[in-house]
Amino acid sequence: MAPDRELSFPGGPPVVDPGAPGGDRRSRILGGGARNTWIAVCSTVVFFTIAVFVIVSSPGWPAVRRSFFDVQEFTYAFPEILAKFGRNVFIFSVSEALVLVFALVLAVMRSLPGPVFAPLRLLAAAYTDLFRGVPTILVIAMLGYGMPALGLQGLPDSDLFWAIIALTLVYSAYVAEVYRAGIESIHSSQVGAARSLGLTRGQSLRHVVIPQAVRRVIPPLLNDFIGLQKDSALIAFLGYTEALLRAQIIQAQDFNFTPYVALAVIYVAITIPQARFVDWLVARERTKRQAGAEL
Amino acid sequence: MRKWILALAAMTLLAGACAQKTPPAANGSPSSSGEKNQTAAQCVDEYKADLFAPETLTIGTGNPAYKPWYGGKSEAGSEWKSGDFTGDPHSGEGFESAFAYALAEEMGFSEDQVQWAAVTFNKSTAPGPKDFDFSMQQISILPKREETVDFSAGYFDVNQALIANEGSPAIGVTTLAGLKDLKLGAPLGTTSLQAIEELVQPTQEPGAYPNLDLALKDLKNGQLDGVVVDFPTAFYGYADTVVGQFPNIGGEQEQFGLAFETGSTLVECANIAIEKLRDDGTLDALKNEWLEVDASVPTFS
Repeated sequence: MAPDRELSFPGGPPVVDPGAPGGDRRSRILGGGARNTWIAVCSTVVFFTIAVFVIVSSPGWPAVRRSFFDVQEFTYAFPEILAKFGRNVFIFSVSEALVLVFALVLAVMRSLPGPVFAPLRLLAAAYTDLFRGVPTILVIAMLGYGMPALGLQGLPDSDLFWAIIALTLVYSAYVAEVYRAGIESIHSSQVGAARSLGLTRGQSLRHVVIPQAVRRVIPPLLNDFIGLQKDSALIAFLGYTEALLRAQIIQAQDFNFTPYVALAVIYVAITIPQARFVDWLVARERTKRQAGAEL
Repeated sequence: MRKWILALAAMTLLAGACAQKTPPAANGSPSSSGEKNQTAAQCVDEYKADLFAPETLTIGTGNPAYKPWYGGKSEAGSEWKSGDFTGDPHSGEGFESAFAYALAEEMGFSEDQVQWAAVTFNKSTAPGPKDFDFSMQQISILPKREETVDFSAGYFDVNQALIANEGSPAIGVTTLAGLKDLKLGAPLGTTSLQAIEELVQPTQEPGAYPNLDLALKDLKNGQLDGVVVDFPTAFYGYADTVVGQFPNIGGEQEQFGLAFETGSTLVECANIAIEKLRDDGTLDALKNEWLEVDASVPTFS
């Protein structure tokens, strides 16, 4: 909890806890005082010491340590897996770029007003329902093994190609919903204002609604992208040697799960900074909005 | 402050409760009465407390179970579905299924006392207690693997072979160097994959598949020029032609072994049984009965 955050009790006098030896209840809740900090530190240290002790003293620990945390295996596996992780980065980067565009098209299709556009709305809704409903690995398997089997001239048969397409299809469905929520969150008076300035429906969508909507949905959008990055590992199912498959190969060869831990370390290293970035964006947005409200 | 202490105590208890799982039954206590002339059945009798289920030999194998290792038709109620390329371990048909029942008999179990558990290859590679007595699924004995599981003595000498469909550039190749520029594949976790990486050292990265089916799918789709499988499997109609067999990796004869939980006392019993079955010719007879191989297939040079 951020110590500088203001907590107010609206509509009431300051609450004083008669049982509290020193200070009022508020300072205790806020974890102010040095004493409270000490308690927090002690509690944390004691808890984790016990947790670690319990794990390390468990009867299976030596076997688990050998299988999951083998230093020698880690030093061997980590660079091997990292070398292949570049492929994951390529896959999810290309996918993300495609998703940004395709999902926006879907969201706009679904938000089109008027009875003429009913088929488009229906199509977009059916699409999102379908691809949000089918597990990603099934889409990857169906495209990756099914499409090349068609033997159609000019249709690529590379695993990489179909993996990127599959991830784009699935994640566009999620991101389209995120975009749509953003579009719907823009108050209709904004469109009214834009229209009264003489903008066409399309122009008001492009210049007024979408810029605001996109800005508003950046945090949830990044969350979906973190999901996409992790799902890039599902391509291992096609026999395409990206980081997860490399880890699986070493694991199956050596009967040792340390390569998985190595891969987890890599994933955590790239996703945590992004998660913090999202937090920062959210916080910035909040301060901005609050500042705006005070004006 | 008292509340804090209480909360901590509660957490400690909780954590402690999680750790109170039963310790592994098998502690690998060296047998004191391990006389040379003990039969496998006597051995099992001595260590029967270590069996996963009382009076039962529980064997883990993959599902699907592939021919020619597992054959026959699915029995009623069996998890395994037999098909063109798969069988049911309960049938007693196919090399490993037949071997399992011979081994069980040697170890003093009747046919009804043999239980099959569907166990993925990965599950048999995990450390810790297992929910079967041993895993039998064409697992090659490798030194690195012995750090995680205990292997029985080898029960089958195996080589790797390359299969391909008509029209593949692999057909007619007789040297390892000739395979270098081809796109090859193999199922994950197999020494087949190792054969590609270490013997062929291909310029194109080999495909590694979760199972044989998927590798064969890409072979059919033309995304692979050839698939490497173990030698007996190569003759089971998975592809048009057996192109050739690979020499041993690192010059050592590769063998399949049964994988046990580390420290299992039953390894000793299985080894007595395997030795017996090898000496009395049963293993060879089973091989001739279930594995049709054409030994004249050339070895890549």
